Amino acid sequence: MGKGGFHLETQDPIIRLAIADKFLNLARANSLWPMTFGLACCALEMMAASMARFDIARFGAEVFRPSPRQADLMIVAGTVTKKMAPTLITLYEQMPSPKWVLAFGSCAISGGPFVFEGQYNILEGVDKIVPVDVYIPGCPPRPEGLLEGLMKLEEKITGTRRFPTPEQKW
Amino acid sequence: MVKAIFEDIRKKLNNIDVKEIAYAERGYHLAIEANLTDIVAIVEFFNSKGFYLADLCCVDYVEYLELVYFFNNHQKLCRVKTTLKLTPEKPVAPTISHIYTMAHWYEREIHEFFGVYFDGHPNLTYFFLHDGIDHYPLRKQQIPVPPEDKKLLNSFKPEEEEDYFSINLGPQHPSTHGVLRVVLRMDGEYVLSAEPVMGYLHRMHEKMAENRPYLQFLPNPARMDYPAALLFNLAHVTTIEKLCSIEVPPRAQYIRTITCELNRIASHLLYLGSFPADLGGLTPFLYAFDDREQILDILERITGSRLTYCYFRFGGLYNDIDDTFIDGTKQFIKRMRERLGMYEKLITKNVIFINRVTGTGILKQSEIPLYGCSGPVIRGSGIPFDMRKVEPYAAYADIDFEIPTGHTGDNMDRYMVRMREMEISLGIIEEAVKKLPSGPYNAEKVPKKLKPPKGDIYHVVESTRGETGVYVVSDESDIPYRMRWRVPSFSNLMTFPALAKGTLLADAIATLGNYDIVVPEIDR
Amino acid sequence: MNELTAIINLVGTEAVRVILGVVGVLAFVVVNALVLTWLERKVAGHMQRRIGPKEVGPFGLLQPFADMIKLLGKEILTPANVDKPIYYLAPVLIFVPVLVSFIVIPFDGFLQAKDINVGILVILAFSSLSVFSILLAGWGSNNKYSLIGAVRSVAQNVAYEIPLMLALLPVVFMTNSLSLRDIVEAQKGLWFIGKWQFFAFLIYFIAGVAETNRTPFDLPEAESELVAGYHTEYSGMRFALFQFAEFSNIFIICAIATTFFLGGYNGPILPGIIWFFIKTYFLVFVIMWFRWTFPRVRFDQLLNFSWKVLIPVALLNLLVTGGLLKL
Repeated sequence: MGKGGFHLETQDPIIRLAIADKFLNLARANSLWPMTFGLACCALEMMAASMARFDIARFGAEVFRPSPRQADLMIVAGTVTKKMAPTLITLYEQMPSPKWVLAFGSCAISGGPFVFEGQYNILEGVDKIVPVDVYIPGCPPRPEGLLEGLMKLEEKITGTRRFPTPEQKW
Repeated sequence: MVKAIFEDIRKKLNNIDVKEIAYAERGYHLAIEANLTDIVAIVEFFNSKGFYLADLCCVDYVEYLELVYFFNNHQKLCRVKTTLKLTPEKPVAPTISHIYTMAHWYEREIHEFFGVYFDGHPNLTYFFLHDGIDHYPLRKQQIPVPPEDKKLLNSFKPEEEEDYFSINLGPQHPSTHGVLRVVLRMDGEYVLSAEPVMGYLHRMHEKMAENRPYLQFLPNPARMDYPAALLFNLAHVTTIEKLCSIEVPPRAQYIRTITCELNRIASHLLYLGSFPADLGGLTPFLYAFDDREQILDILERITGSRLTYCYFRFGGLYNDIDDTFIDGTKQFIKRMRERLGMYEKLITKNVIFINRVTGTGILKQSEIPLYGCSGPVIRGSGIPFDMRKVEPYAAYADIDFEIPTGHTGDNMDRYMVRMREMEISLGIIEEAVKKLPSGPYNAEKVPKKLKPPKGDIYHVVESTRGETGVYVVSDESDIPYRMRWRVPSFSNLMTFPALAKGTLLADAIATLGNYDIVVPEIDR
Repeated sequence: MNELTAIINLVGTEAVRVILGVVGVLAFVVVNALVLTWLERKVAGHMQRRIGPKEVGPFGLLQPFADMIKLLGKEILTPANVDKPIYYLAPVLIFVPVLVSFIVIPFDGFLQAKDINVGILVILAFSSLSVFSILLAGWGSNNKYSLIGAVRSVAQNVAYEIPLMLALLPVVFMTNSLSLRDIVEAQKGLWFIGKWQFFAFLIYFIAGVAETNRTPFDLPEAESELVAGYHTEYSGMRFALFQFAEFSNIFIICAIATTFFLGGYNGPILPGIIWFFIKTYFLVFVIMWFRWTFPRVRFDQLLNFSWKVLIPVALLNLLVTGGLLKL
């Protein structure tokens, strides 16, 4: 997505443990700990997703750790400016693997409504500096959008989806 | 009051070019054209009369640069606009930061956006922008930044000392304030100095305004202050309507009042959740968001969005409200009144909360004009100044409400002012719903390509954090020549270094949370 | 088979019993930490008008297992410039007082790993060591936030240890013994909380909450001020060890409160161990309740409260108890 997205070259692991891998991935998907990285307006919708109405805790992800060493999911919610970009890269590198990045909102996907001819300060999409796993569009996306993005990330990690997608029903 | 000031200026300062202006057209009462020699004397005159500096901005007319100073008074409304013309190559102006402390940051902002040098400013370094910027952003032509200036641009890195250490609060911070970075110099647990570093969310709103027609700028104000998006929307729309003399029908005015007050309650609920969370009590956050979701449901039906509204149009609204909205509002008011009683018992009467919050972060009434604060910050210190009463807009002139004030100006007073404001807003909504007139919700024949007449206008709205001002300069085309936003959090935050000095770290953070600042509004 | 019995008789059934007890205690520590993780998230959820973990297993019961397996599978990360011996030692050292304390707690009449006759003294002595490992964690992390958190923790623990001990002394006076088994046996009729030790119970409970760094006294890991306090730089399983130790400490504090003031394993009809768990877990629930109700106290208020309020009241209580016993 976007021009010149960031790609990581992944290597095949040397030791493969088939069933252990499956359990590890299942455990990782069910206990994703996000890092508090709300930058702008989308941060409020991320907070609303962890509140009583939408309750991200049902899926085990309500432990928002402030320290990057203890988190494994970075939800980039909001516009990333050029002044903030080095900080984001430092935080990403401080997180231990395995780690994932969710681009929440149009500003994190591709700069959002702030892209215009002669813009000088924002990064057009966070995938220019970190590899992104799931993109959640919207300005700001609804909290249900964050939950759906979380489901998609779990599907990416484990290979199976927890709830059926609405199209499959009819 | 205006006449008295007019005579006073004529008497005390000779050879001053001062004119009386039609307030309804321009939004200010007097206009002074100063020059380099007497600007400091004028500023000192206004300081001695108890005026505060409401705004300091710069406009780039290509043949000259114009510095615009707005002064206002807390006692009686009298807005004075002072302009100072500067030459476009190497513009130099005398600093006024020794008279008004808030000019420190305003002048740094003008320096980095326009290239104006201020003689005598103690620390003219970059504030919002980073060192990769090559041209002054808000100048109409591409004027490169000279290399000796670039040396000043390096990111803020304090030196390490023997006995004290520096610690960074942010930019990634567990509190909800967004990307605010404060560099604290500490002596153990005591804060020696606190220096905010801004600019991590500078999204070029003012530059965008100069690049797109008036109608296309409508989504932007909501992104500036997202908890209270409708209020910023209202500021933008009312200013342009005043400039173009568009008459808004009364039904639209009342609906604007109702939705704005609902948004004010939603924003104060966010404060109610995040302030105890800064102190360590995490549960009120969820209860407050529960109430907030009720408001968001009501507003989502008519506006279409949950957070960043874009509901007002020039001349009225996007669409009309219906009976479901009114019923929902009435039910919400009833429910909210009980909930406010619950918050009182849970938070306000909590012994630990009272001990943490009373007596800390005291802002004295005498310091307020130096900083130009506004909103609950000054009402907590005892100044009953509210733009909705002083310069009524929308339907506030017809509605009766009181202004809550505190006595000492500590954190507890500001907290109580905001709680009282929620109750008062409920009363305003009730009265407005009762008095809601029928009729059209949009003015007739508002052109799609709005071309306002030539001139400038300054209009102020009371948003949840204080006085939000919009200064628009139009040159008869459909794109604004300059749109300047005066945001309340910027001047409120300026008092933080002074209030945090010498306090414990916990108190400094409680005070910071109590300002209820929203960083995108400061960074624009 | 004869050789085995001969060897066991040689070494003594006592040794076997102690080894079995220690193994049982280790197993219990892990199970308890898992249960408390789940309980904390569920209690937090219900107090905040939502349900906590629900999807991971029925009622979210498999959530702590998912957390633990995930933490086991994390990259083992050592930040640059940390003081390596101290950094590696801190999460391990924090378990020493926990395990020693568990050995002397009487779960039931015969379910005690070893009844040392100076039982409570052992517990109090070793729990002073836990502040040592927090200090090591804070210093070794090469991080200013950790350092501030650790320094706060030292002052807090030192200040609140004294009321803790002073509140337990009246009970020791009343039973003339330091052994935990004797103290529980002395409460067969009426619990000590009914025998005029209500204030001692309150003081002990408050000091206990402060000792375990829980809200309202959780300054060492204040989330909104210091990023994560003394365990900012720990990731993966090391962080899990800190959390395990914290939950185990909570259990120990509540277990001692139960033993000293609420009658230990005494109770009608149900077996002793069930009563012990009911009482202890009720106190654990109250500590979790505190976390989601109160904001944090400020540092100087914390120390003032301990030195100027708790210690005088504890001393007064001690005096009154001593006087009443003499009469």
